[in-house]
Amino acid sequence: MTLFKKELLENWRNKKWIWVPLVIILLSIMDPITSYYLPQIIDSVGGLPEGSTLEMPEFAPPEVIMMSLSQLSSLGVLVLVLMSMGTIAGERKSGVTELILVKPVAYRNYITAKWVSLLMLVWISLFLGLLTSWYYINLLFGDLSFVELLQITFFYGLWLTLVVSLSIFYNALIKTPGLVAFLTILTIMVMSLINQVFNHVLEWFPNNLSSYILDMLMTDQLSTDLIATACVTMILSIALVVASIYTFRVKD
Amino acid sequence: MAFLTVQDLTKKYKNKTAVNNVSFEFKSGQCIALIGPNGAGKTTILRTLAGLLKPTTGSIEFANEKGNSDIRKFIGYLPQYPVFHYWMTGREFLVYSGELALLPKSEAKKRAESLLEKIGISKEARDERISRYSGGMKQRLGIAQAIIHKPKLLILDEPVSSLDPIGRREVLQLMEELKQEMSILFSTHILTDADEISDELLLLRQGEIVESGSMEELRIKYQTAKIEIEFERDIEAFAKKINDLPEVTASNIERNTLHVTASDIQLARQRILEAASNENWPLTSFNINRASLEDMFMKVVKD
Repeated sequence: MTLFKKELLENWRNKKWIWVPLVIILLSIMDPITSYYLPQIIDSVGGLPEGSTLEMPEFAPPEVIMMSLSQLSSLGVLVLVLMSMGTIAGERKSGVTELILVKPVAYRNYITAKWVSLLMLVWISLFLGLLTSWYYINLLFGDLSFVELLQITFFYGLWLTLVVSLSIFYNALIKTPGLVAFLTILTIMVMSLINQVFNHVLEWFPNNLSSYILDMLMTDQLSTDLIATACVTMILSIALVVASIYTFRVKD
Repeated sequence: MAFLTVQDLTKKYKNKTAVNNVSFEFKSGQCIALIGPNGAGKTTILRTLAGLLKPTTGSIEFANEKGNSDIRKFIGYLPQYPVFHYWMTGREFLVYSGELALLPKSEAKKRAESLLEKIGISKEARDERISRYSGGMKQRLGIAQAIIHKPKLLILDEPVSSLDPIGRREVLQLMEELKQEMSILFSTHILTDADEISDELLLLRQGEIVESGSMEELRIKYQTAKIEIEFERDIEAFAKKINDLPEVTASNIERNTLHVTASDIQLARQRILEAASNENWPLTSFNINRASLEDMFMKVVKD
């Protein structure tokens, strides 16, 4: 608990509680807004040549919220990885852990305090981001119910949870923050590659969460695939944290 | 009664043995100094005792404690280069350390306050970020965080090496006070510091204890005392006489001073002084020069 409070205070003092939500909000609303205003934007930069017509596709609200998610999946994940790359590795590298770990601190608490505090930051940022996006979608594109927003946040949050857990795992393993970030991103890329190659076998692979979320919005019902994938993602995340605690303990 | 026993402690890294078969005992209330050149394994031993490293073989046992209980609660540790959470204030960091050491919050606050007083951090500085502290203040804060939970054993890694003379004095004084309350184990390469506050010295070379004992014991053991005699005149003649004494192993003249080494310094002294008084030698000075700490250190650690 002490460790957890320290994490919250630290993330507050180093302004993570300000910039991470802002970045996530920005990423979430960028695509919906630019797609809506695309015709005006084209006009203002000179317009199209005479005679050519631009057929603007009509976006359904679910498609628009998926744009937000796809931004978050690329840039958002990158931001989260960069933000969390030093949470343990940096402390170890600087040597501050020497003072912490000689106290009767359980390694379990040390890791989970980091994990939970990061998750709190990520989930709240995600919720704020999607909430803003949802607001603009309702304003500009059409109805998307609040319940759907909550469902999207929940299922997509699981994906980000996995990203954070992955980052924590590499943090426990390696002392260099840059390498932690690199390996985390590499792993995510390899996972998406595996997903594409073995798509027909791995139906519940975590990377499929987004597409199942889209299905859910289109068909208006929770598919078993979605729930199973969510479970797999959760189990993987928890397994990663347990593995982190274990590797952290056996280290030297 | 030893309250801490270190038995055959060995720490190996991939291809290097940092600490080799080190054994020693710690009596309650003792202050032990680990002395050795850089790379002798001092830090490794301290880190192992603090629980930051696992020994490759060997054991560290506290009296009255079962094998697997968490010994960290009895230990306070200050690394050579302590790194803090610089975004915290001095007070916050101490309270935080106290809570990590399982003190209840109110108790941690009280301890923090009294320690800040004790280590002499001014009222204004207590609520400043640690990033603004001077080196001496950080070192004292480091000691404070190490003793916040009143450990039985305080481990300090080179506590004064990086400080200026004033900071050094302050920290040594603090250690002198702490000796009353707990056992202290510290490493240093500055012999005078070790001499000043420790009861016992452990001299390390390449991961092994090459010599141990109290300062006095070591002095006697390594005493290669020399007698230095000055005469008003005729120094060569007297040199010859002294050289003929059976106890004297060597003598040589440097300027006006005769340097004499002897197999038995007490006896040689007696003989020379007897002769001097019987034959009325024109002595101007007679001096027994004890081996300095540095000489002893070099002798033990070098060969």
